[in-house]
Amino acid sequence: MRGILGGPDSGVMEDDQVILDPNSNLGMFLRRCILAFNLLTFEGICHLLTNIGIYCKEAISSCSSYELRRLDDSGNDLESLSEYENMDLNLVFKKINEEMEARKRATERVSFHLHLPKELSTLVEDIEVFADPKSEHYDKGRESSSYASSGDLLRDFDPNGGVFLRTNWQIQGYLTEQADAIEKHGSSFTLNAFELTLRQLQKLAPELHRVHFLRYLNSLYHDDYFSALENLHRYFDYSAGIEGFDFVPPTGCNSFGRYEIALLCLGMMHFHFGHPKQALEVLTEAVRVSQQHSNDTCLAYTLAAISNLLSEIGFSTTSGILGSPFSPMTSVGTSLSVQQQLFVLLKGSLKRAESLKLKQLVAANHLSMAKFDLTHVQRPLLSFGPKASMKLRTCPISVCKELRLGYHLISEFCCEGSTMTTDGAFSTAWLKNLQKPMGSLVLSQDNSSRNNSNPFLFCAQPSSIPGSVLQLVGSSYLHRATAWEIYGSAPLARVNALVYATCFADASSSSDAALVHVKLVQHLAVFKGYKEAFAALKIAEEKFLCVSKSWILILKLQLLHERALHRGHLKLAQQVCDELGVLASSVTAVDMDLKTEASLRHARTLLAAKQFSQAAAVAHSLFCMCYKFNLQVESASVLLLLAEIHMKSGNAVVGLPYALASLSYCQSFNLDLLRASATLTLAELWLSLGSNHTKTALSLIHGAFPMILGHGGLELSGRAYITEAKCYLSDPNFSVSDNPEVVLDPLRQASDELQALEYHELAAEAFYLMAIVFDKLGQLEKREEAAASFKNHIVALENSQNVEDLLLSV
Amino acid sequence: MSSKESCRNELRTAIRQLSDRCLYSASKWAAEQLVGIEQDPAKFTPSNTRFQRGSSSIRRRFRTNEITSTPPTGVAYVSTPVMEEDEVIHGDFYLLAKSYFDCREYRRAAHVLRDQTGKKSVFLRCYALYLAGEKRKEEEMIELEGPLGKSDTVNRELVSLERELSTLCKNNMIDPFGLYLYGLVLKEKGNENLARKVLVESVNSYPWNWSAWSELQSLCTTVDLLNSLNLSNHWMKEFFLASVYQELRMHNESLVKYENLQGNFTFSNYIQAQIAKARYSLREFEQVEVIFEDLLRNDPYRVEDMDTYSNVLYTKECFSALSYLAHRVIMTDKYRPESCCIIGNYYSLKGQHEKSVMYFRRALKLNKNYLSAWTLMGHEYVEMKNTPAAVDAYRRAVDINPRDYRAWYGLGQAYEMMGMPHYALHYFRKSVFFQPIDSRLWIAMAQCYESEQLHMLEEAIKCYKRAANCNDTEAIALHRLAKLHRELGHPEEAAFYYKKDLERMEAEDREGPNIVEALMFLATHYKAQKRFEEAEVYCTRLLDYTGPERETAKNLLRGMRIAQSSFPSMDVEHFHP
Repeated sequence: MRGILGGPDSGVMEDDQVILDPNSNLGMFLRRCILAFNLLTFEGICHLLTNIGIYCKEAISSCSSYELRRLDDSGNDLESLSEYENMDLNLVFKKINEEMEARKRATERVSFHLHLPKELSTLVEDIEVFADPKSEHYDKGRESSSYASSGDLLRDFDPNGGVFLRTNWQIQGYLTEQADAIEKHGSSFTLNAFELTLRQLQKLAPELHRVHFLRYLNSLYHDDYFSALENLHRYFDYSAGIEGFDFVPPTGCNSFGRYEIALLCLGMMHFHFGHPKQALEVLTEAVRVSQQHSNDTCLAYTLAAISNLLSEIGFSTTSGILGSPFSPMTSVGTSLSVQQQLFVLLKGSLKRAESLKLKQLVAANHLSMAKFDLTHVQRPLLSFGPKASMKLRTCPISVCKELRLGYHLISEFCCEGSTMTTDGAFSTAWLKNLQKPMGSLVLSQDNSSRNNSNPFLFCAQPSSIPGSVLQLVGSSYLHRATAWEIYGSAPLARVNALVYATCFADASSSSDAALVHVKLVQHLAVFKGYKEAFAALKIAEEKFLCVSKSWILILKLQLLHERALHRGHLKLAQQVCDELGVLASSVTAVDMDLKTEASLRHARTLLAAKQFSQAAAVAHSLFCMCYKFNLQVESASVLLLLAEIHMKSGNAVVGLPYALASLSYCQSFNLDLLRASATLTLAELWLSLGSNHTKTALSLIHGAFPMILGHGGLELSGRAYITEAKCYLSDPNFSVSDNPEVVLDPLRQASDELQALEYHELAAEAFYLMAIVFDKLGQLEKREEAAASFKNHIVALENSQNVEDLLLSV
Repeated sequence: MSSKESCRNELRTAIRQLSDRCLYSASKWAAEQLVGIEQDPAKFTPSNTRFQRGSSSIRRRFRTNEITSTPPTGVAYVSTPVMEEDEVIHGDFYLLAKSYFDCREYRRAAHVLRDQTGKKSVFLRCYALYLAGEKRKEEEMIELEGPLGKSDTVNRELVSLERELSTLCKNNMIDPFGLYLYGLVLKEKGNENLARKVLVESVNSYPWNWSAWSELQSLCTTVDLLNSLNLSNHWMKEFFLASVYQELRMHNESLVKYENLQGNFTFSNYIQAQIAKARYSLREFEQVEVIFEDLLRNDPYRVEDMDTYSNVLYTKECFSALSYLAHRVIMTDKYRPESCCIIGNYYSLKGQHEKSVMYFRRALKLNKNYLSAWTLMGHEYVEMKNTPAAVDAYRRAVDINPRDYRAWYGLGQAYEMMGMPHYALHYFRKSVFFQPIDSRLWIAMAQCYESEQLHMLEEAIKCYKRAANCNDTEAIALHRLAKLHRELGHPEEAAFYYKKDLERMEAEDREGPNIVEALMFLATHYKAQKRFEEAEVYCTRLLDYTGPERETAKNLLRGMRIAQSSFPSMDVEHFHP
């Protein structure tokens, strides 16, 4: 005992001086080792001895070639052992300790310092892990030499070392961390290298089924459908869904296995690969099976997954799938529209999650509820019965309420802490993470802030929950930003995006982080002009370079398109627009949002090219599509575009009903900013109807001004200013000479803003109006100045053809 | 083919050399083939040929077309010179080591040879070390008592053996036997490509080592891999190819090869057993049974391949024969995986599934890569309604050999039992992919599509069609096809399939409600089509059956007569004044 306790530093001190405190960590550890050693069976000791023998043999054989030859010639490891014993007996003992520590778990199944859930502790066994298969050989040599010379105590904890023993629990932690990493970094993870590691793990620890799940995840995020399918099935065949599903608290496992979880995962996989129909079929089966096995938890998750699927993917109809007698719809009847079904599903899932106290699911459901509220008007579910007051409006209050409810999750986590740990020891590391990146600038290139700590160092703290909670809370901020964007409050949207980018950058998945950057850059483009937006885009591009169909790429195309439209580079605009369209319908699935946007931009390009009838046709078919798939928010902007097309083509009367329709859409969905711009269009329409409507137009503009100036971007306010000036100028009762500033001030503002945007056409118009005003006032010098600016813009617009050809050739 | 006499001489030398190197199973195999060569009747007295006599009866019964008697022409076989023994002085140490080895004292044997440098001594030392490692590995497996088949113990000698053998190989100081061992070690270490190369080199320079061929065979998992091998044309290659073809499920090709080989090795029990296995895979149970009976008569204490025989007996529900077989193998050798498997089958047929599982587990303990035991154990668990265990067992079978369609099918069945037909479809698809000629698989898949949860009848019809095309012995597919078409309202197709079904039932002389159903439908269908003659034929046939259908048939006939007579009767009225 004493010899061992004195072991680590006996080279320095005398045998009598045992300084090691038996109650210290190391002391406890060694005492436990001795205890375990005494309890070891004879076979156990034999194994220990073999392992030590092999270890010594390998360490020595890689030491020098001379010894190697001798060793091989003898073909007998006893000699090497005896030679080894001469070196330092204590070192051998130390090895025994380390071996034993792992061995102890295998034999006794008792863990001292890890308070594991019971069924996990049965899994704990020792495995050998090669930290890095490639450097292994080299490291072994290096390590053994250092070992021989100094006998460094920490050698075995060197993460780059060769063979060392890890508990199963640590491997589980490693796997969980890798799973998070895969999800976060997506396809920037190298497929083959990780696959290699996993293969090796699987070979060494065949009973660790989670490896199969990791392989599934790996191939899932690399879009390898077949291997993902294969590994998913393999994982669930082996584990029967009982092991390693993070969300499910380990209740008593029924003997039938939990294959419904397999169905849930399979459904999500199909969803990921863009097979919505199959996903829906599988999920329907999952609903049925979990009802059969009365697995309410799984049922709640499945319902949430289905509602997610329905809201993400544009189904025009679900009949034949959800209409089957086994669907959860039976209580309501099958004549509901997709949206109504979605609503029922969401409600049901939420209720279940609440009754089961699945906090994360509750939060996620609140979020999707908020999303639903944001884009859908509430309608009574049943067409019969007492007529409820039909309020055909979305309700921002309910959206806020839902978002806020989701946010409560994090505070609950803070108070309850350890009770929610389904997967072992609770780590407070995530709270530290929360504070850490606060200082870092959002758009700076600081992407090394991610902690590089070795998962093995904080032994057995692989808690994945905090990460996912953070992600949820973060996405609630993201939802808020989107909500405010739609409602038209630019500053609030920006603030929320900023909060997300600063506080949740660490926990977010790469696509979410990219999305936030997109939002911020878009904001810059609208309020600061393209120069700054492109500078920011460059930084964002460097940060998220990997993916082909990423948010960043789409953003770049959007920005390019808008700038081309403003500068008058129509061919370029059309080209960019086509590229967007290609992105929308990729091989895997059609992205409805992107598709809508692409054709909206197409119509706008045609409008800029003054091909009115074609533009109208495109916009019309787009409206039909939006109507079919219930994209009501998009319908409002399409209607507005139609109104603009008719106005520009000179049919103001035809445009009026479209503008009014758009306005009413905006009202019912609380789209305030869009409403302001619809009002502006309406004013322009009135104005073009003749000078006797200027009063109406002016009052409309003045009504919309607060919104436009508070939240609108450069283009919108520029347009508003010009229209206002035009109203005044066309008013026969208004004389310029009396009150020149009323006209000149808005025109100056407009010209400044439009120049920042490089919007040549409108800027030219502003300068033209200015020149006329100055002409009337008799200020010839200023008139010439304005006229020169006007000429500049017109020339730029006319030259755009040549510039564009240059650009295209480049 | 080289003459029988030269084969015989080659084998004789080889047996001596192989057993001198303690490669006993290879020498056993060679000796079996040696005796299997047809003796020249002129040279031998009847007592010598007594051993070969029994098999003639089966040959008379089954070889009517005599393809095998025509020797293949045009194939030039290289004659590999029989290796000369390089070490004339065996050395007393070698003799001692071999004695130790024969007493299974492997480490002692290796130790005795530690300073010997002759190729033979080096081989025996390495081989002894390898076996010592294997032995220890198995002991450790039991000591560590991991869950069944889930042990990660490795042969501790592999690393040093690989190091030594690769050095020898580099310096070109290695003989074919050493190469074989090197290949074996490489294969265990997972370096399959190099292992394949080394083994090919080994068999090309010494083709009579069947162990090397079988290791090579286990590394040829695809046809492409097989074709990429650069093998010289020795008659041993024929044995190899036949065996590989069987493993790759190219049963007909394999059968042709074996029957060719039987021309020279007429009395080889090995070939006979392999033919039986190939025919078993082709589901020709009757013939398999006869072959095995014959085999057992000649070689009553044989345990190898007898698990296939027990499978046949199980399928045919030959209770007493299986019982007899089980008792016989238990007397011969109780602790062989095959014996355990046979006893497992025996208990399963008796309906004692717990005991059956116990024996399958024992078989797997003896050989954890025993494919059919995993699958059969899965079947037992299905019988016991323990689906998760069944799924686990099947999945292991599939991971050992992904081409095992039975296990895929079992997985599908297990999931279907749990009410997850959509999930099960994945497994059925896999199963039919690997065995598209088995109608039962297609039928199972079709039934899955037909289940009330999925109700995908169009897909079910497609599957039944495939089933009907591949010799559906139980004739389920045609009947289901007809029924489905009728339900979906395709009367023409329904009539087509009912007719086919009817023809088939007539050909096989089968009775049952299906005939009545088919007749009934056809009668009404043709009546509705106004093809009265056909309808009348079916109606009259219906009259042979009792029950309500008979009355309906009568009514139909009456109705038809009225309909038919209405026209002519008008005429009659016209012509009669």
